[in-house]
Amino acid sequence: MRQQYAWRSLILNACLALAAVAIVLQMVRIQASAEAEQFRQQADAFAGEWKTYYPERGQIYDRNGHLLAGNQSVYEVGVDLEAMRDPHSIALAVSVNLGKDYDQVYTNLLNPPEGIAYLVIDNFADPHAVAYLEGLKEELAAQPSALPSLAGLEFHVRLQRSYPEGALASNILGFVNREGRGYFGVEEKYNDLLAGQPVQLWVPSDPNRAVEIPRIPNGTSLILTIDRELQDALEAILDEALSTYGAQHGAIVVLNPKNGEVLGMASTPRMDLNAFWQYGSIYDNASEFNRPVTMPYEPGSVVKILTMAAALDSGLVTPETTYLDTGSIQVGGETIKNWNEEAWGLQNMVGCLQHSLNVCMAWLATQMGPQTFYGYMNLFGLGKPTGIDLAGEAAGRLKLPGDADWYPVDLGTNSFGQGVALTPIQLMTAATAIANSGRMVTPHVLYAQLRDGHQFTVSPQYAGSPIKPETAATLNEMLALSLEAESSQALVPGYRMAGKTGTAQIPTPYGFYDAYQTNASFIGWGPVDDPQFMIYVWLERPSASIWGSETAAPVFSTVAQKTVVLLDIPPDAVRLQLNAP
Amino acid sequence: MTIAHIQVIMNSVYSFSHAFKQAPWRMQRQWVSLFLSLTLGFAAVAALYLMVTSQAAILGRQIQDLRDEILVTQYKNADLQTELARLTSQEEVERRAYEMGFRPVQPEEVEYLVVPGYTAPQTALLASAPALRPSAPTLRQEYNQSLLDWLDERLQLPGGLP
Repeated sequence: MRQQYAWRSLILNACLALAAVAIVLQMVRIQASAEAEQFRQQADAFAGEWKTYYPERGQIYDRNGHLLAGNQSVYEVGVDLEAMRDPHSIALAVSVNLGKDYDQVYTNLLNPPEGIAYLVIDNFADPHAVAYLEGLKEELAAQPSALPSLAGLEFHVRLQRSYPEGALASNILGFVNREGRGYFGVEEKYNDLLAGQPVQLWVPSDPNRAVEIPRIPNGTSLILTIDRELQDALEAILDEALSTYGAQHGAIVVLNPKNGEVLGMASTPRMDLNAFWQYGSIYDNASEFNRPVTMPYEPGSVVKILTMAAALDSGLVTPETTYLDTGSIQVGGETIKNWNEEAWGLQNMVGCLQHSLNVCMAWLATQMGPQTFYGYMNLFGLGKPTGIDLAGEAAGRLKLPGDADWYPVDLGTNSFGQGVALTPIQLMTAATAIANSGRMVTPHVLYAQLRDGHQFTVSPQYAGSPIKPETAATLNEMLALSLEAESSQALVPGYRMAGKTGTAQIPTPYGFYDAYQTNASFIGWGPVDDPQFMIYVWLERPSASIWGSETAAPVFSTVAQKTVVLLDIPPDAVRLQLNAP
Repeated sequence: MTIAHIQVIMNSVYSFSHAFKQAPWRMQRQWVSLFLSLTLGFAAVAALYLMVTSQAAILGRQIQDLRDEILVTQYKNADLQTELARLTSQEEVERRAYEMGFRPVQPEEVEYLVVPGYTAPQTALLASAPALRPSAPTLRQEYNQSLLDWLDERLQLPGGLP
């Protein structure tokens, strides 16, 4: 009997041992099989995932701390096709709540593209609609019946750029596309700073192996030199000016000539930055986005202030130097005439500026000679980018002796702003030398950076001293006198201003100038004894009048009157009284 | 009783004791005891391992939840900031000012006064206190290291296990 049990026990033990050996052999076989690597890869694939953590994009503020560009959460709504149980209910829910086409969604859910496990239904879903759908999904899941069901419907939140001011300062700010890249303006220029450094990390699915996510600092926030109220006023004045004078487009810039801070910069057309995809339907080309910086044009007589500055600084003339204007002058074998083709007789240098005499300016340029004249223009930075911190700045063009397309007559025409392509910001930069005791400043829109709780303020950059302080003071006085003498529409009651109009014919693609269409400009600054703002006005093809003195000059006055109120600059009489010891 | 008798008795006791120790049931009991001891030992280690790993898993899951919560809070914060900016935007403020009967001031209406001690508004100072920056990882190894990981790490040390 005992022997019988012993045999049974032995057989059972042998069977179990064989099974154990078989299991071990199978394990070894699987480990050594051809598919082992594939299994390992599958295991690795499900063990976790590479995740990229993007820092929150830095915000942009105006100089008074008003938010101009922030972030807002947006939702992506999609369907996990493997988890989906009721495509009809999903299609119905998203058609009712997200405004999607039921038939299209239903068809896509039933016939998704091959190899797709997740189908995106809406990339920018309304947060309220998403909240409702989430609640509905949970409600249906809690019901005992399997259908209807929104199983598989997923919601993913992310941050997207948002502009609380809409179209305000759109030409300065630029925009950020769906991929998070900045285009135009500050968004493009400082994209790397604003975007911060994304961090890529392997995140295991196993909670046992929870890894620590490193601290990801937000992108750097920026404080701009822009004053929101002034910017809004500039845009309103510009829009009204286009309507009043029948101009096609225009630009107005206000900056502080002492430190180069841009206080406001209006341009047309503008766009609602929250609807950046409309860019293509608003602009024909990129240079239209911010005309004062990206679009060079022939500015005309505003360049005369630089010619006069060169003539005074080189010692060629003084304000009292006289010139007999006969109405024309020969330069390089070509005849140059005044804007009204008349002779203005004996004029001193103030008269030359007051009456904006082309002939007088051409005479000054020829007396200086190309080397001196272009030497000064080079020092003023004409034909070179100013270095303003906005994307896409145009360099303009100043032809120089030796260039294939430079002719001797260009010396004469360049002296009164013809045959030279400049941006308003280039002319303003050059003019800061006159308003700022001979020192030229680099214009900028960045006031400070905010990083890790610290504020780093940007220092003003000086761009050289093309003229002596005495020359600047003399020319300031001459420009103020010329405005007062002609009773210019640019004058501002209570404030003494310096400035110059510009009316320039527009070159056509056929090589000659359009006789009926002009660019009207005005550059000016004040108060003359202590300049605190500089204003540039450019109206493109005004139809009410072709003259800058009748279109751009009154706009300058309007802007200046608004600026002195917003910047708290008292009238000269009050200011001098207040400053008196 | 003589010495011979005592020797006989002693031999008998020794024989009995030897026979008792070599009894088959006695040997089986020893083996069973050994097996049970080992089993209990393994079970204790396994229970300890299970307890530690389950605690680590729970903490890991809590960390994941907290991380999600931080993200959601950041998003809410960004939303609120943008919403506040929208409510105080230039257009909105201007509209409300007009509704309340205000109008833009004209230069000739402005009266300038000398106010002793008055300081003109300065450009925005938006710097806040710097965020705390931990000098070392805040998540200790105990929270994400399994027993096997710990053993492996110890074995990798130059001196082996301490």
